[in-house]
Amino acid sequence: MAMLLRLDEAIAELVGDGDVVALEGFTHLIPVAAGHEIIRARRRDLTLCRMTPDIVYDQLIGAGCARKLVFSWGGNPGVGSLHRFRDAVQHDWPVPLEIEEHSHAGMANRYVAGASGLPFAVLRGYLGTDLPAQTPNIKTIECPFTGERLAAVPALNPDVGIVHAQRADRAGNVQLWGITGVQKETVLASARSLVTVEEIVDELEPVPGAIVLPGWAVTAVAHVPGGSHPSYAQGYSERDNTAYQQWDPIGRDRERFTEWLRASVFEEAGA
Amino acid sequence: MRDKQCTAEEVAAELRDGMTLGIGGWGSRRKPMALVRAILRSPVKNLRVVSYGGPDVGLLCAAGKVRELVFGFVTLDSIPYDPLFRKAREQEGLAVREWDEGMFYAGLQAAAQRLPFLPIRAGLGSDVPRNDPALRTVRSPYGDGEELLAVPALELDVALVHLNRADKHGNARYLGPDPYFDDLFCLAAKKRFVSCERLVSTAELAEGAPQTLLCNRTMVDGVVEIPRGAHFTSCAPDYGRDEKFQRAYADAPQNGLLSRLVSGSEQDYQAVVQEVS
Repeated sequence: MAMLLRLDEAIAELVGDGDVVALEGFTHLIPVAAGHEIIRARRRDLTLCRMTPDIVYDQLIGAGCARKLVFSWGGNPGVGSLHRFRDAVQHDWPVPLEIEEHSHAGMANRYVAGASGLPFAVLRGYLGTDLPAQTPNIKTIECPFTGERLAAVPALNPDVGIVHAQRADRAGNVQLWGITGVQKETVLASARSLVTVEEIVDELEPVPGAIVLPGWAVTAVAHVPGGSHPSYAQGYSERDNTAYQQWDPIGRDRERFTEWLRASVFEEAGA
Repeated sequence: MRDKQCTAEEVAAELRDGMTLGIGGWGSRRKPMALVRAILRSPVKNLRVVSYGGPDVGLLCAAGKVRELVFGFVTLDSIPYDPLFRKAREQEGLAVREWDEGMFYAGLQAAAQRLPFLPIRAGLGSDVPRNDPALRTVRSPYGDGEELLAVPALELDVALVHLNRADKHGNARYLGPDPYFDDLFCLAAKKRFVSCERLVSTAELAEGAPQTLLCNRTMVDGVVEIPRGAHFTSCAPDYGRDEKFQRAYADAPQNGLLSRLVSGSEQDYQAVVQEVS
């Protein structure tokens, strides 16, 4: 049965310096509040994994939490580049950032293999791209029946997987719906997991297309209404497109970013 | 959108000698039995059949239609082992690939993903690979170097499934407790045919839980409305298994019904249903 913890307790308990951490959620249900708590907890040397790092990863990188990024696309969706990410790769600010780049299908397959307890996944992908030359853990494997060469990617088994969901019950069973991305696979692939939720309810009413993560598959649940802002939680909130646009000038400038960190993350502690 | 309605005879006529035929359902549950009977009456032979087997397998074997069977099991559920399949297996001439159910799933999944194989741990440490020497292993290309079983894709020429409701475009819904792997059979096949208990409008089909819409029109080439089309297997909640008839089927080698069930007309079959049930 999952523990019900406050967000700060959960991050303190589950995320340690040097951990491999995945915050997942594809445009929908992005666990932004949990990312900010990692910044407040001043975690360092993290290997951050995410299929589509967007502004919460820009913030984590800019705050100096990450040593390495494992990803398949990076950007501020619909707006432009991630300038804290760019600054870290190009100028080692505030600390150097190693990158490991995959394709979306490759990352999704890595989580599936991790969740399945297999050491690697096989896919038709990466062919005709330069990614295998840049990312040494993209290998080829020969089909023992046809001799065809296929791509192999290693299982991704984070130390901590963090996702946001619509609701949980008091036993820590989690229910999420809408675009559910690789959230299930991330939780099942990770040694420890945290799910932040909009609502804690007595009973999970069935919802069409919902995924239920049973309490025994989840380490901790934290009640964080609005925890995916400025992304959205279907049935609870709309995507705040303005916030994504407003991020661009903040992210472009080290001083504005540092001021944003102080005012919007550190002074929010205890709020 | 295309009207994909057709007849059981037209479905059977799509089969060619030597083709690989996947059959949905599970044991003696929601098997496309009316479509299977149409195959019994057609001239096709030397089929390679892929099935979580029930009486579909027993009948096709008894009719001499099967050259090779790929299966996880063949059972009638309330009768543990299908006697018609037992008889065929004890004779020479039926090639079998008897796999672990998880391997079978991985083989369908590989075909659905258009991959030639998928690695899996299931089957290792068992006699499955010893009894199927065509199986191979693959070694992880990473530091762990683990050896895994390689399951070849179960590429299907034709898949047959039976569902509770469908529209004429090939969208289809199950209403019982279990989807089985009918969607995966369709995704693994080149030509896909759904028989259904009742053909309804798309609007009516859309009412109800979205996750029970198992097959959509991009996965289906033909739809046949056949009420009681899964008889004598179960088709919950429309009807349960016809246990009396299944008993008579299992006793068919002794009770004189075998030729009427295997090589009779559809009228013969329905007459036996009237006599037995």
